[in-house]
Amino acid sequence: MSMTVSELPHKEQTLFRQTLKLYEARQYKKGLKVSEQILKKFPDHGETLTVKGLFLTHTGRKDEGYQLIERGIEINPRSSISWHMYGIVCRNDQKNDQAIKCYEEAIKADSDNMHILRELAALYTQARLFNKVVEIRERLVKLNPTFPMFWTGLAVAYHLTGRYDLAIKVISTHESGRNEPPLNKLQISELVLYKNLLMELNGDYQQALEHLKEIRPQITDITAWKEQKAKLLLKVDRKEAAATAYQDLISRNAENNEYIVGYLACNGLDINCDKDEDAIIEVIDTLRQQFPSSNRLRFLPLTFTTGENFSKAAASLVKYALRKGIPSLFSSLKALYADKGKGAALGTLVEGYATQIRDTQRFSDSTEDEPSSVLMWCQYYLAQHYDYYGDYERALTLIEEAVRLAPKIVEPYMIKAKILKHAGDFRGARDTMDYARQLDLGDRYINSKCVKYMLRNNETDEAEKTFLMFIRDDAPHLVQETLEIQAIWYMCERAHAFRRQGDIGRALKHYHQAIASFDAYYQDQMDFHSYSIRKGTLRTYVDIIEWEGTVYSHPIYQDAARSAIECYAELADLKTAGTPFIPIVRESDSKPMTRNGSSQQGQHNLSAGIGETKVFDVDKDPNGTEFVNSDILAEALKLVERLEGACESAPETHILAFEVHLRMQKYFLVLKSINALKTIDAQHPALPSMITRLNQALDTDDNFAAPLKGALKSQISKAFGTTSIDAGTDQSLAALLIAAKGMLAMDQTFATQAKELLMKATDDKYADQRTLLRLLEARQLLEKYGADEGNLAQFNSEAKRLFTLSTCF
Amino acid sequence: MINIRQAEARDVVEMQTCNLTNLPENYQLKYYLYHIASWPELSFVAENEQKRVVGYVLAKMDDDGPPDMEPENGHITSLSVLRSYRRLGLAERLMNQAQRAMVEVFNAKFVSLHVRVTNKAAFSLYKNTLKFDIEHTEAKYYADGEDAYAMKKNIKELYPLEMDSLDF
Repeated sequence: MSMTVSELPHKEQTLFRQTLKLYEARQYKKGLKVSEQILKKFPDHGETLTVKGLFLTHTGRKDEGYQLIERGIEINPRSSISWHMYGIVCRNDQKNDQAIKCYEEAIKADSDNMHILRELAALYTQARLFNKVVEIRERLVKLNPTFPMFWTGLAVAYHLTGRYDLAIKVISTHESGRNEPPLNKLQISELVLYKNLLMELNGDYQQALEHLKEIRPQITDITAWKEQKAKLLLKVDRKEAAATAYQDLISRNAENNEYIVGYLACNGLDINCDKDEDAIIEVIDTLRQQFPSSNRLRFLPLTFTTGENFSKAAASLVKYALRKGIPSLFSSLKALYADKGKGAALGTLVEGYATQIRDTQRFSDSTEDEPSSVLMWCQYYLAQHYDYYGDYERALTLIEEAVRLAPKIVEPYMIKAKILKHAGDFRGARDTMDYARQLDLGDRYINSKCVKYMLRNNETDEAEKTFLMFIRDDAPHLVQETLEIQAIWYMCERAHAFRRQGDIGRALKHYHQAIASFDAYYQDQMDFHSYSIRKGTLRTYVDIIEWEGTVYSHPIYQDAARSAIECYAELADLKTAGTPFIPIVRESDSKPMTRNGSSQQGQHNLSAGIGETKVFDVDKDPNGTEFVNSDILAEALKLVERLEGACESAPETHILAFEVHLRMQKYFLVLKSINALKTIDAQHPALPSMITRLNQALDTDDNFAAPLKGALKSQISKAFGTTSIDAGTDQSLAALLIAAKGMLAMDQTFATQAKELLMKATDDKYADQRTLLRLLEARQLLEKYGADEGNLAQFNSEAKRLFTLSTCF
Repeated sequence: MINIRQAEARDVVEMQTCNLTNLPENYQLKYYLYHIASWPELSFVAENEQKRVVGYVLAKMDDDGPPDMEPENGHITSLSVLRSYRRLGLAERLMNQAQRAMVEVFNAKFVSLHVRVTNKAAFSLYKNTLKFDIEHTEAKYYADGEDAYAMKKNIKELYPLEMDSLDF
């Protein structure tokens, strides 16, 4: 019975309209009842079935809801209302591709429905189908040319497809015409600044400058206007006028690097150019006289000066910082250590100060006594200086002196903990950080540091307890709250700790928590496709879209995704070896950390009607069984494909793609990954091992068709010639580790060779490369592949000789 | 050393991480996005040489009044400077930027904020360094039941409007 709404009797039509209103009012239970009332008389009415399905999805009966919606559509496949509802449900479940298909069906039957068109434009934007966004937005402007959201939306759509001229034209056509509702003062200011930005992007600098003058009376965002003025003047090479504009900006914010660099450029100076050194010093000195409190101006000379000039600038800054007790001094100067001369000079400088203060309580060029804290900050700096160079014993002696000088101050303990961590004493590092934490229990920063150090020491339970101390007391479920607040660093560190302990299930579970947070970040932009355009903040909106497009390249995402892929690969190998991983049950699993609370609102919701509160289920899978029992390689492949899209230029992306494709026996894709890595870095130490493993896999796979095998092998030998798996291991410890891992991944026949290779990791020929983490990895591989006690003891004692303070060897 | 600039979309994850490691009041990422989508002029970040966000101010305008009224007060949602980046005057400098924007863009007369009554360090920063006054105490303001001082500062006179030269 394909009866439309308008064919229903009057009473039922009214009821149907009521259901739609109830849906908008989020009165799902009531709506459900009303839809059932219609269905009593017309049990096969398609659109009513769909609307009932929609309500069911909101009242905890999702599967049933989907079934009803699909049945409704089957009965009345041309109903725009039904397709729209289906689209909404898919969108709510973040099945954006499917939602798009539904919306496309919905507009087939109702091509001028502006409501549906707007939502489809948002979905297309979310899916980065910008050409389709343009189509829809053009249609919307035709339907209602005086509605500002439509034509500003179209301008943005043109912008996103790179057609700046069309975007400018749309704005020019509509900005001074009739607009309903009219734009307010803030929206006008944003709009004209957006137009100016488009002119700049289009390369019309002179025109943009003229425009900038005209719009000044309309501007509310004065900083943006001034920035634009300075930038454009510089672009048209009006250096004198630009310099005045940058000077004006610096007077408003003397800590802004871009302003200072801009000002220098107006003087024809480039901070990265050696020959300008003296001239830049002069300009910066003049600025410093005008803005004496600017830390940025104080610091900047250290980055480009050399020799005598550097010593002078360093002395001035370092003395200032030591007197003031600025704890971040070393962190700020660390980047300069890439220049060996500068690093050494800074060490000598501070050592000199320490001696002067110790001997005379004064800097040699001063006639006033310094407070005793200055010596403490000297030792605090020098400890970090020697830690940087790996001289942990000296660093420790220095920091202990700082601790003695200021036993109640948290900062020196934090550095001591850091040195111990670098030296391989994870337990001592964690204890020191915990001691510091107890000096200031109300401070979350030291608490967070302590949690991190506990996790580095694999204390997952203790870390959890400590972390939860700063989770708000009324949270209904404390552990879930860490998901709610998206503590990505914690999820990832916790996962690493489980992984180090061999608990792959829990590791995967926590990696996936971090990954899911990034999915939520991506989804977050959905509301802004309409919100930002309504608000009129178009420049920010474009920024949001561009940034969201790169969200999966965030370092924490990459870390979590890569680690998860490695876990999946390990699960697959254990399965192949006939010893599948069994999720580890712990006693604490049966005692969930729950707490009842009255409110879930608090600070975590958005005002202004964006977003809904999410209700989390209590943890049903404490040990990650769901992930262990999943289609392991398929899950890994999903992560690989995401990395290939977001982090194509990272070598690790292709190394991990290789690992997954190889285990799936997709040999052409394996070769593709190898080639992709070669394109990024033809000398990458992983290449020999990857090629060898692919060849070996081909040789031993009897199910792979011989002609294809031949074709592949000839491609490999053409591209890479003959390689040996241990190529490069003589010079590179990184290559050695990769080769050993590769050998161990192939089969037992290589185990002896791999172990011999690993035993060499402590050799002096790798003097500069023997980091703690690399040695730990070598030892872990030795353990995993059954090195005998004697070898292990020998390895540990060699490593201990290199890391004398370590407790991990 | 430190660079202070307006907060942008690309900063929100770092701002959230800075907040989570440093402060007990935490927010979902969308809340940061909501601030910069609504009042892009008001929020600022301090980043170190490694481009890491080590401090930020997240600010908004009070829009609780009737919809046809212009908002008069700025509000500091969150101000955070990592412990290891103290004594550089970052909080003061960040606040200064936010306050100026409130006056210039929104014609704000006051800026307000809430602080836990037990948070002595923050209270002293607002009271002594940033010259805020206690307006009143709000009972059970925080989700865990703690009271807040509602603090306020007149900023109107601090940032006289300048005239821009159009002779360029």
